[in-house]
This record gives sequence, C-alpha cells and structure tokens, in this order.
Amino acid sequence: MPSSSHDRGPDSTPAAEAAPSSAAHPRSGQESPAAHELDWSVCMARAQGGDRDAYRRLLEDVTPYLRSIAARHFQNSGDIEDTVQEVLLTVHAVRHTYDPARPFGPWLVAIANRRVVDGLRRQGRSRAREVALDIEHETFAAPQANLAETASDGRVLRDAVEQLPSGQRDAIRMLKLQEMSLKEAAAASGMSVAALKVATHRGLKNLRKIFGRQGGKT
Amino acid sequence: MITTPDLIESLVAGASPVRRLRPPATRAALWLLFAAAIVALLAVSHGLRPDLGARLHQPAFVTGIVASLLTGVLAAVASFVVSLPDRSRLWQLLPLPALAVWVSTIGYGCLTGWVEIGPDGVRLGEVVDCLATLALTSVPLSLAMLVMLRYAALLQPVRVATMGGLTVSAIAATALSLLHSLDATVMVLVLNFGVAALFVGLASVFGNKMFSLVASR
Repeated sequence: MPSSSHDRGPDSTPAAEAAPSSAAHPRSGQESPAAHELDWSVCMARAQGGDRDAYRRLLEDVTPYLRSIAARHFQNSGDIEDTVQEVLLTVHAVRHTYDPARPFGPWLVAIANRRVVDGLRRQGRSRAREVALDIEHETFAAPQANLAETASDGRVLRDAVEQLPSGQRDAIRMLKLQEMSLKEAAAASGMSVAALKVATHRGLKNLRKIFGRQGGKT
Repeated sequence: MITTPDLIESLVAGASPVRRLRPPATRAALWLLFAAAIVALLAVSHGLRPDLGARLHQPAFVTGIVASLLTGVLAAVASFVVSLPDRSRLWQLLPLPALAVWVSTIGYGCLTGWVEIGPDGVRLGEVVDCLATLALTSVPLSLAMLVMLRYAALLQPVRVATMGGLTVSAIAATALSLLHSLDATVMVLVLNFGVAALFVGLASVFGNKMFSLVASR
C-alpha cells in the first residue's frame, strides 16, 4: 500500500470539509460551488477522452478535499494519506463509470466513503489483534522486571525487621540491608564483632520464624 | 512507498482514453437479451415442458412464472444501477415486491425425487435433468454479469453480487418452470445462494487484482 506524509494543501481547511459542492478550489477561489462541480465534471469528461492535463488538474484539485474527508475519520496522517491514495486509485480504476451528465461530487464522495469504510475496517481488525502496552503490563518473566512485587517484598521485610529486638534489628540493618562490613558496623554501633555476628545470626533465625508464621497464615 | 503527487503523476501517465459505460437500463436490457437467448436455445434443445399449455391456464402457475420473470428483470436493472457509485442504494428494493409474490408461489417438488425406483430399476430422477438446465442457465448468465459488473468489485461487491445472484436465480427459475414439470424454485434459490457466494468471492479476488494492477502502474 502506498503511503507517505504529505503537506496539506492550501485549501485543506474546514471550508473544504463541507459538502462536495462547496469544496474549496485552488484555482477558482471565490467562484460558486456549482462552478467547481462543473469544472471537475468537465475535467473528468476530458480525462475519459484521454486528456492527461485535465486529468492531472482534476486529481490535484480533488486531493485536498479527499484529505479533508479522510481526516474526519482518521487521526494518523499516514492513515489519512493512505486513504487519499486509495481513493485516487479507485477513481482511476472506475473512471469509465462516471457519467458527465451527472454531478461529479456525489460520485467522488461515494468512492471516498467506500475507501474510508475499508480503512476503518482494516484499522479495527489490526486493533483487535494488537494490545497496547502500558506500565501495568510491563511484567515479564525476569524477576528484575517485577518492580511492583519487589517493592512490596521490601516493605514486608522492613516490617519484619522492625519486630526484632533492638540489637538484632541494628545488626541486620547494618550488615544485611546497608551491606556494611563487620568492622564498619562495629565502629558504628560500638558492639564487638563477635556480638554483631551472634546478633545477626539470631536476627536471621527470628526473621525465618516470622516469615514462617506469615507463610503458615496464608 | 510513494507520495501522493508521484501517485497522481503515475496515474496521469497511465490515463488512456476509456469508453464510458452505457446507461444502466441499456446494459440491463443487453444482459436480459443474452439471458433470453440462452433460455431460447435451451428450449430448442431440450423442448418445453409437455404440459405447458395446460399450466398456462392455471392462475397460480402464471402468477409464479410472471413474478419470477419480473423479479429477474427488476433485479437485473437494480444490479446495474447499484453497481454505479453515485446511485441510491434504495434501488436494491426495486425487485422486492415481485420477489415477495414469487416466493409466495414456491413449491417443493424438487426437494424430493432425487432418485426414482420404478419397474425399470433405479434411475436418476428429474432433479438431475433440472440441475443440468440450472447449470446451463446460471453459469453463462453469472459469468456475463460478472464481466459486465467487474468494476463493482472496487465499489459495492457484496451488494451487487447479492443483487446479481437474485437476478440469475430468478431467470433460472423462470427457465426451469418453462422447461421442466417440477416446481424447482426452492432448489434454484438454494443453489443460487452458492452462485451468489461464488460471485462475491470472485468479485473480491478480481477487486484485489484490479487494484494491484492499477497500483503497479
């Protein structure tokens, strides 16, 4: 499918979003709407006869109007341009079905609506298959990714440490949570290294008991 | 990836003169002439049903055959009109009154009698003959309509295919009523659902091919 980003024409204004007969026209400025219709109709009649200049003028003139139709249904500029190009391709393929005795606008709008509906269906299908990822869904197999769970685990651990006797609590905090060395912890707390080791050992034992109780409860 | 101005240039470069379509009524008339020729050829080769003269005096039979013919004619006109992008979709309703009358006259003959067991042993029933007539009517008419409405694949494939399927069904049922002694409309309708589905499938395939053909220019 061809696609491109394309600069919006000078007449892709809300005025061009009105009925086809009132679509703005780059060359005709303030002419009456009927004049645009007639102009497009004449261009298409000539294009059917093989007049390439008339055909180019017609396609260039209707493109901003088609873009305004597509912009009513799509937000993405790529989707809008895709739809415009599909309408142009369809116009080219079925240009022999246009009867110059009839107005050009309804013929063009019917084709444009058809391609817009196709585009919306395609968009609906792709959206049905795709899932938008947001923060809540960023949980993967690797434990490091489970940030929310890690945070709750940390809170549970801190609560358990709070329940320990003060000596064991300080020892666990310094040696295990703050990852201080025995010497640093001894200097900071004024406890001996041996006393710190004993307090850490007992603290870990008590923590196991606490978590064992909590596990038994759940 | 191609930009829109480049696409326009490529379309303009491939813009050879095209022949405008004739008015839908004229095209429907041409198709109906073709259908009449097919049915006439079948009548010559197969022969009309033996009791046709007597049946034409029965109001129910005449009502059914006129309704199916009228359904075919109106559905043909509707098919060619709704195939154009700027015509109202209300044209689809055109054959509905005739269709309602036709459906109300449907019989069930062809649903039975696939195989007959008689003194001469087992032989294929009239249904097989019916099927042959049905195929000889439906296939060329469907193909002709498919070719004449191929551009509709890009516009209203399902709508046009449904209308085309109804047209072919109605004409085939009319032909069967004239050629066979069975009231075959139920079977014709069932089989022509298949024709309509084929129509839709081919239309979507042709549509994609036409599209890629145009896009590659």
